[in-house]
Amino acid sequence: MIRTEGLTRRFGGVVAVEDLSFEVRTGEIVALLGPNGAGKTTTVRMLSCLIAPTSGRAWVNGRELHEDPSYIRATVGVLTETPGLYRRLSAWHNLRFFADLYGVRGAEEKIEEYLRFFGLWERRNDPVATYSKGMRQKLALARALLHEPKVLLLDEPTAGLDPESARSVREFISELKGEGRAILLCTHNLPEAERLCDRIVLLRTRLIAQGTPEELKRRLFGTRVVVELANPSPELVSSLGIPEARSAELVGEKLYVEVTDPRRDNPVLVRRLVELGAEIIAVREAETTLEDVYHELMGGADAQG
Amino acid sequence: MPRVKAILLKEWAEAIRIKMVLFSVAFLPLFMTGFATYLVWQGKALPEEARAALLNTSLMYFFILPVVIPLSIAAYSIVGEKEQGTLEPLLATPIRDWELFLGKALGPVVPGLILSWGAFGLFLLAAKVILGAIPKGVLSLPWLLSIFALAPFLALFAVFVTMIVSSRTTDVRAAYQFSSLAVLPALIPLLVYIGRLTAVNLTFVGIEAGIVVSLNVATLYIAVKLFRREEILTRWK
Repeated sequence: MIRTEGLTRRFGGVVAVEDLSFEVRTGEIVALLGPNGAGKTTTVRMLSCLIAPTSGRAWVNGRELHEDPSYIRATVGVLTETPGLYRRLSAWHNLRFFADLYGVRGAEEKIEEYLRFFGLWERRNDPVATYSKGMRQKLALARALLHEPKVLLLDEPTAGLDPESARSVREFISELKGEGRAILLCTHNLPEAERLCDRIVLLRTRLIAQGTPEELKRRLFGTRVVVELANPSPELVSSLGIPEARSAELVGEKLYVEVTDPRRDNPVLVRRLVELGAEIIAVREAETTLEDVYHELMGGADAQG
Repeated sequence: MPRVKAILLKEWAEAIRIKMVLFSVAFLPLFMTGFATYLVWQGKALPEEARAALLNTSLMYFFILPVVIPLSIAAYSIVGEKEQGTLEPLLATPIRDWELFLGKALGPVVPGLILSWGAFGLFLLAAKVILGAIPKGVLSLPWLLSIFALAPFLALFAVFVTMIVSSRTTDVRAAYQFSSLAVLPALIPLLVYIGRLTAVNLTFVGIEAGIVVSLNVATLYIAVKLFRREEILTRWK
């Protein structure tokens, strides 16, 4: 549904996005992660045919960007960084306007359906200026979905929402995935990306890494085992000396050991530790979060940059 | 042209909610009609020649009105979208550049013309009541052409200029102030008519129409050249 090859955009001498290649397939949610200024919004703008790439190619819904921008815009739903709603107009009026621009059939029923889903129906005739930030965000999301796009580009969909609303929006996005849409999600919310997304694209002007959250964790941290000890000592680390333990680090009472295959390596590790006089309380796999991956990779990019 | 219609309706819906715009759209035609009627009433007892001059002056208001009324809406047109951050979602829709531009241009012009012509009708009614009959000069071909054919082109010119200004300024007030310059072409015939103190004639209307249409073509070309979504998003800040 979305495919980019060496996508690059320069603004004068400033490179916003460079040589970006990734893919979002049907029924998939892909997170575009990166710090501010990493090129996420520029990428979304290129994919929604708002700005043209300086070089590289991209296909959305089977059409190359420059081939038929109008078709691409008609089949893509965009949630922009800021809600971008007409504040003097009501929620109903805002949606009606965009429904007309997209040529939505049965617009009134669709508008009612989305306003009810997002809990805005009772306030449909009030000016958007009187809405809370969360209500505006929901309305902007409704606007992005109104024309039933097959491709969704969502920039920070839960920003500014209270936890309950954020959760309902996340659940809704998950449902959308089930409907066979391709969703590109720009977010700073790493737990959200981990929970929602099938794959992650880490971007800092250039592509830093991409893969499923599990792949990225394994690639960076391997499989780590935590051994809780009653008698931790630095000698345990220095005397370990088995090939199954690729690295070891003692943090407080916990010994973190990187292994290749836990089923094969853990018994050898436990046996060796007992031989060394370790009193083991528990052995479990270490939890690595997407946040760990992000900081590791972005830190690495910093060091290279 | 459903998208042009959507833009038109949205522009009007927004415009009637802005006090400054509402003032110029609602108050100005009423004020101008009242003032023109007052001039006719004043000229009731004057000799024929002086009365004709006063009548010409009052008719001028209905020539200027379609140019002035749309300005406040047009000034808000682009810069208002920028202020609200609505340009990006708008440009992300399948709307074509010319549809957006046409909708944005007609949005202010159509109500300006309707209100001005309505005000002109009201004036004719008032003149008939005051003078017993509508003076012959009022319904002459040059005047009717000026009000119903030339004024729309002057209004379009003013709107094109205002939209260019609106796209280059950062706030609505600045756009509104600069855009008042767009009224100047409409003032030229006013000055000429007042200076000569004669009724309008077909030659002058023809010359003026030629100039205004040429100006419209040139301004439209510039405005469309500047009206590119990439430029709008990345440079109109």
